[in-house]
Amino acid sequence: MSEFFLELFTEEVPAKLQSGARNFLLTNFEKLFHEKSVIFKKSLTYSVPNRLLIYFDGVNKQIIEKKEEKKGPSILVQKQALDGFLKSNKLLEKDIFKKKTDKGEFYFYIKPEKKIETLNILKDSIPKILDRIDWKKSMRWGNNSLIWARPLKSILAIFDNKIVDFNYHHLSSTNYTYLDKEFEEKTKKVRSYKDYRDSIKKLDIIIDQNERKDFIKKEIDKISKKNNLKVEINHFLLEEVTNLVEQPNILLCKFDKKFLQIPREILIITMQNHQKYFHTLDNKGNITNQFIVVANNKDLKGFIRLGNERVVEARLRDAEFFWNKNKNQNLLKQISKLKTMNYFKGLGSYYDKMQRMRKLGGFISDHLLISKEKIEIACSICKVDLVSDLVGEFPELQGIMGGYFAEEQGFEKDVSLSIKEHYLPNSLESKIPKKYFSVGLSLTDKLDTLVGFFGINLKPSSSKDPFALRRAAIGIIRLIVENNIDLKIKDLINYSLVLYQENNFVFENKVTQKDLENFILERLKYYMKEKNIRSDVINASLYTFGINHINKIYRKSLAFNKIINKESGLDIIASYKRALNILESEVQKNNLELSEIADPGLFKNEFEKKLYKKIKELKKYFVNINNDENYEITLDNLRSAKPVIFEFFDNIIVNDENNAIRKNRLELLQMFCKTFDNYINFSKIESV
Amino acid sequence: MVSKKKKTKPKYQNFQDTILNLQKYWSKQGCVILQPYDMEVGAGTFHPATTLRSLGPKHWRAAYVQPSRRPTDGRYGDNPNRLQHYYQFQVIIKPSPKNIKKLYLNSLNTIGINYKDHDIRFVEDDWESPTLGAAGLGWEVWCDGMEITQFTYFQQMAGFECKPVSVELTYGIERICMFTQQKKNVYDLDWNSQGVKYREVFHQAEKEFSSYNFELANTDNLFKIFEMTEQEANNLISKNVSLPAYDQCLKASHIFNILDARGVISVAQRAEYIGRIRDITKGVAEIWIKNQK
Repeated sequence: MSEFFLELFTEEVPAKLQSGARNFLLTNFEKLFHEKSVIFKKSLTYSVPNRLLIYFDGVNKQIIEKKEEKKGPSILVQKQALDGFLKSNKLLEKDIFKKKTDKGEFYFYIKPEKKIETLNILKDSIPKILDRIDWKKSMRWGNNSLIWARPLKSILAIFDNKIVDFNYHHLSSTNYTYLDKEFEEKTKKVRSYKDYRDSIKKLDIIIDQNERKDFIKKEIDKISKKNNLKVEINHFLLEEVTNLVEQPNILLCKFDKKFLQIPREILIITMQNHQKYFHTLDNKGNITNQFIVVANNKDLKGFIRLGNERVVEARLRDAEFFWNKNKNQNLLKQISKLKTMNYFKGLGSYYDKMQRMRKLGGFISDHLLISKEKIEIACSICKVDLVSDLVGEFPELQGIMGGYFAEEQGFEKDVSLSIKEHYLPNSLESKIPKKYFSVGLSLTDKLDTLVGFFGINLKPSSSKDPFALRRAAIGIIRLIVENNIDLKIKDLINYSLVLYQENNFVFENKVTQKDLENFILERLKYYMKEKNIRSDVINASLYTFGINHINKIYRKSLAFNKIINKESGLDIIASYKRALNILESEVQKNNLELSEIADPGLFKNEFEKKLYKKIKELKKYFVNINNDENYEITLDNLRSAKPVIFEFFDNIIVNDENNAIRKNRLELLQMFCKTFDNYINFSKIESV
Repeated sequence: MVSKKKKTKPKYQNFQDTILNLQKYWSKQGCVILQPYDMEVGAGTFHPATTLRSLGPKHWRAAYVQPSRRPTDGRYGDNPNRLQHYYQFQVIIKPSPKNIKKLYLNSLNTIGINYKDHDIRFVEDDWESPTLGAAGLGWEVWCDGMEITQFTYFQQMAGFECKPVSVELTYGIERICMFTQQKKNVYDLDWNSQGVKYREVFHQAEKEFSSYNFELANTDNLFKIFEMTEQEANNLISKNVSLPAYDQCLKASHIFNILDARGVISVAQRAEYIGRIRDITKGVAEIWIKNQK
């Protein structure tokens, strides 16, 4: 049993490439050992920016390839080809023999038992595995042909305390590692993994990324507790920071309190995204002027703390300068600046978009029963922040800054909030606006975008969606469904098309309308599937209701999906299917045309009468429900028909000798099914 | 080699000594010390000693300071960190040497930054210049959280693959001095240890050029000059003279930057202008490579 380890020493590999490389190497070496039947007990992989390591313990020194009968070419093959076969397998003619198989007669030979050194397998395979490593982004350097994430400097490869000798491009494997990542001058020979770990430890390097991450987390906890601060650890940031350092040193720093008057989002982006710091909160959840830096060196002279504090202050001074300048620049007076900002080729400027949005927003406000005037104001100024310096500096804060400006300038609260939130939701998981002005503005913006891009025929392809139109459509669906509102999307698309036309943008309106409707319905299907709704339920619901009923489609599906495998759901399906099966076969067989009206005069017994009564009752229920339909109650009602319809079938033969009676019974069943279809079209449901 | 002496604070260095020390240091490393290119450029990279010399097989080592102009970054002299004109110190070595990191870290020592006392970090930064049709991989080097250098291995220049690969180091002189002199405002930088501050040298220029860039530049004329410059470049390319043609690319690029600062170029136009500059630059590079042989 031996150990194998490999260290790839490089210039600093980007944080986000490290985990992929670690996993690639580990799985590929594991795969190699499995394929060659080399047994090992333990496998590990670690990385710091300059070192990528894999380690296997308890590895077999050699493997024994069992004696095996191997098939060669057909006996009909030309002499020349046979010679080639013999040569490439290092065989003589006497080593081979003929044997019949069900595919004809072939040459065979016996491959004898053979010992193979694991060392040799490694020598052979390491360069091949390294060649296949998939860096998301890689480079060349100097005069070399090798392509790597950043310059690869040295390869340490040890098996069974010996060097695994091989060449890889311009490099040869070694039995030493570099102790100084800066100058690459001090080397250290290692024989065992323990040797290696000890030398790394002496350098204060925590090579294990998980240990490093835990260490950072604990230190942050310790420092924040001690100083009565709260840190909501952002896990992406923690992951990145962990892969940016090898000897983490956690420092609590602060900036001048006066910068706390800058909007919180700017402070957070500056610290988190630009400087990779953790911001802190006080007991009330307010952001503080203290922040946490994960440095990669001991701060013996205090330079590191000082330097970081100065950097963040310089950045915040910049932001403060813009904030003070921008917040007082009158939003209304700046609207005309949008004329010089191109929205998209073929869709005009942001000014054009703003004009369309005002009208579309007004139209939507009628549906949402909110003030038309206010949403028009929100539409007019919501894009003005795009011309501000702050959004130039922090593009990810578009909308949010506009909201702050509006608030500063005394616009009503729901107006400024709607501006702040109008890009939301921007993903399947993101926060959803709840206030109707925000919902209205967000819908307006997204609809105008979708109609425009579909109008100029820049629809998403199967793999590409450069204008994030899928996201916009999902946004519309989420706004409707998660706020439980009814909105006639068909009419809105239609109106938006009219507005483009008034704006002198000429689209093929009919095609655009249809394509966009289908696109939104496809997204609705996707959204419902994500909610684990069965596809047959989705189809049944979509079959019954069109794009003007997105909320209804979703809610009816959801309610039915919830009970579909329970007794109540099974009852409903069984009732419906029992009626439908007879109906379908009889209608087809006899080529009947049904009118959906049964004649009570033709009823022969109480079962028919009871069923008729039940159907009337259900019909009445459906006629009387308004928009406040409670889908659970509807489903309960449908279920209540089960004993009636089952009694009917258990006691009556539909196929009466009398044609009129038979047809009347079928009419009754047809009525029954059609009444059920008021909910969703149950014929689309697959029976269990 | 690493300084053996323990230092107790970052070594104070005035602005001009910082440049002189970098020149001395890189001169010792075998670099040709050049003077700034005598035209308006957006960055040290635009100097033909970098752009053109990074193309083709010939070895090359050079270092120079380059005044760089970014019209949109002007703040009328009011902002303590932003300038429309500042100094970059540029090192270009082809092929990139194996010990470049060591050479770089030692260079910091000569300008008052001992890497052992600081948190020097190499943070991924992939560089791309759409106007030059250039791309490279490397890092921004952070010193205690502040970016002080761009460290780039060129992969592509003017649309051509770089072979061998050059390494480019770009030091931000103002930032480094603000760090070593512990100044919060760029205009307070000590220029020569004899009483002259950065303010005296450049403040008026920042004010006046900000007015020019944002308000006064005659955009109608600049649009015309852009067209003329582009024509001239194409004419010179057809006559097979690469360096004069390249000057026209630099001119076009600077005019574009001023037009951009004046806010008269829309998003769609932007891409078009950048594409036009890239096309002439590519034409120049093609004949430069040919003429070099």
